[in-house]
Amino acid sequence: MRAAGLLKNGWRAALLPVTLVVLAQVTATVTQLESDTLASPFDIARAFVSVAADGSLLRATLDTLKAAAAGCILGVGAGSLLGIVLGLSRLADDALDLTIELLRPVPVVALIPVVMMLLGFGAEMEIVIIGLGLLWPSVVLARAAVKEVEPRLMEVSSVLQLGFLARLTKIVLPAILPQLFMSLKLAAGYALVVAVTVEITANPVGLGYGIMMAQQALRPAEMFAYLIWIGAIGWLISLLLNSAQRAFFPVFVKGEGR
Amino acid sequence: MVVTQLSTRPRHGEGNSTPTSGEARIRIRDVTLSYGSLQIIGGISLDIAPGETICVIGPSGCGKTTLLRMLAGLARPTSGSVELDGSVLGGPNRSVAIVFQDYGKALLPWRTAAGNVSLALEARGCPGAERPAIIRELLEKIGLGRHADKYPAEMSGGMQQRLQIARCLAQEPKVLLMDEPFGALDAMTRQALQDEVLGLVATTGATMVFVTHDLEEAIYLGDRIICLQPNPGRVGRVVDVRLTRPRDQLLTREDPEFLRLRRELYDLIKDDHQ
Amino acid sequence: MKHFSLRKLFLGCGALALFILAWKLVTDAKLVSPIFFPGPERTYAALVKGLSGGAMLSQTLETVQRMLLGWLLASFVGVFLGALIGVSRRARAFIAPTLELLRPLPASAMIPIAIAFLGFSDNMVLVVIAFGALWPMLLATIHGFAAMEPRLYEVSAVLGLSRAQVIWKLALPSAMPMILASLRLGLTISLILAVVGEMLASRQGLGQSILAASRSFRSPDQFAGIVILGAIGLVGSRLLSFAERRLLRWQAVSR
Repeated sequence: MRAAGLLKNGWRAALLPVTLVVLAQVTATVTQLESDTLASPFDIARAFVSVAADGSLLRATLDTLKAAAAGCILGVGAGSLLGIVLGLSRLADDALDLTIELLRPVPVVALIPVVMMLLGFGAEMEIVIIGLGLLWPSVVLARAAVKEVEPRLMEVSSVLQLGFLARLTKIVLPAILPQLFMSLKLAAGYALVVAVTVEITANPVGLGYGIMMAQQALRPAEMFAYLIWIGAIGWLISLLLNSAQRAFFPVFVKGEGR
Repeated sequence: MVVTQLSTRPRHGEGNSTPTSGEARIRIRDVTLSYGSLQIIGGISLDIAPGETICVIGPSGCGKTTLLRMLAGLARPTSGSVELDGSVLGGPNRSVAIVFQDYGKALLPWRTAAGNVSLALEARGCPGAERPAIIRELLEKIGLGRHADKYPAEMSGGMQQRLQIARCLAQEPKVLLMDEPFGALDAMTRQALQDEVLGLVATTGATMVFVTHDLEEAIYLGDRIICLQPNPGRVGRVVDVRLTRPRDQLLTREDPEFLRLRRELYDLIKDDHQ
Repeated sequence: MKHFSLRKLFLGCGALALFILAWKLVTDAKLVSPIFFPGPERTYAALVKGLSGGAMLSQTLETVQRMLLGWLLASFVGVFLGALIGVSRRARAFIAPTLELLRPLPASAMIPIAIAFLGFSDNMVLVVIAFGALWPMLLATIHGFAAMEPRLYEVSAVLGLSRAQVIWKLALPSAMPMILASLRLGLTISLILAVVGEMLASRQGLGQSILAASRSFRSPDQFAGIVILGAIGLVGSRLLSFAERRLLRWQAVSR
């Protein structure tokens, strides 16, 4: 239910948000709004244009996206690797299951102070946190994907006497590629969330910092502009990945999303 | 065009569309159904007497299921009307029960067999205290007495279909509609269920409209057989079934009249295909 | 069904022991400064001390309370609103697209907004938690209701069920698997946002205590706090899984 769904529903879909925005603007104009916490849609638009024009929005967006992308690659890469190992090796799976079950529930935000002590402020800290946040979900998904590989294919690989590496590259990896992409799609969204969270709590760069600064400086229009922009970025990433998924893994798309 | 055969059996009057004995339970008056420019059903008229068993056969796409859904009130005719006991059927009605072919989708997977039957009782406002007895009786009657606490996923296809039938009976319907109910089941289960359904209909006196693509099943079960022709769906032939009741899987199927009807219907269907 | 395996128990405990041993070796060899990274014994000591009379117990309770309150609030609102929207195709057409637009918004991005309105208060944290946990539950409920088997709608029409009966007896149970799964996700989000909120707003709780410990370089206390948070997450998740399995007994059968 992404872009296609939105277009199909057309006016019905647009009615609610448009009405709310119009109402907000009318209320703001009528009450001649001057506030530290609220802003009219016009003001928000003006603020957006201003931060876009002076380059601060672009810089912040790039900072956030760079960290999110790097953390994504790190977390999904390491996690998927471990997950594949767990999926293929019964021994490793049985042994590490308990340890992972105990490590998994720790909220990654609790690790921010630790990582911050080791790495200080900055991009590395943010990337590490994002990577850690994405690690365990990627392990779980990759492991499940490997387990789901048609057992018949594994039997075929035994009959053909494929070595471990050959089995991995010729059978397992191609078979789980759609699920890995799905894992990446979920991770991308989550990476953005973690990035913004880290920037709000600890790291003074990026979109999270931007929105926090706007609030601290009592510039509500700018604050809301950043908020909407963050949402738009998230939506855009999701849209791009869905299109990619439809392009590369068309069969998969039929089963998910309504 | 409705071509009928004269019947020597007085039970349902002459083998034509209008029973002489009293009010028809269902009256289908010149019903058509179209989706846009596509006409699915093109003019069907039929009267069904109370307690009668009508079997509807015909090739795929002739509108058998659509006709049944119209009788259930789940589809509205584009023109013409369906009357139940003299009044026009405007929508689904509790006195018309329908057994779907995809039993898995028509049962509640989160309720046990007893719970599924109970749904019909809850719907018609049966007091809670009376329900267990009715449920038990119905499940016994349909052969699921020992499986009352099982979930549908724990039951075989035949058992699930029985459960659906039990739930329909819990509605205490005047009319029982069945849409190829035994199509997905193996031959032995099918025969057992055919006999059970016949028994139930005989004791409850319900009117039954049974859609099937199985000629022999139609002859075995029915009092009259309606052969539909496709594109658009309309009645090709109405055939009387002059076989004694109660029916028997071995004896009836060896009856010369059964074999004659089978040959006649087979030729009919073959002609329709060409 | 998970079968209890002795081999798995041995291997699991063995691997865990190895992990703790490696932790001890790394910290004993001072590969990382003990100011940043305590060994397992010091962490354990801090844990015991903190819980049995130290401030950590009350802080744990604060965090758990916050998490549960926000989660419950979000659950009720999410399921109730989700049911209302989910059963009506018209409502879905008008509302669902807007919700989909709002979905990718990180809940933590709402924190500055919440601070703007509510300051650095407990209520602010609660609102952020509830907002964050609301989305998965709302969307899952809507989806669960919308995805009800169409055949069951026909069954309900033939049986003559009232709209309320359809919602309560058919739509809700049918949506239950999706709703229960989202409740678990919602709880995870609630914990995360509780910690973030506490850290940012300096409210009483484990988030704040971890931050304080890190600032005063009391790494064992910091790690003890992390361990407790992990435990909260684990216990909460297990409890909900257990409840889910009980409520969805009928699903286990078909597996």
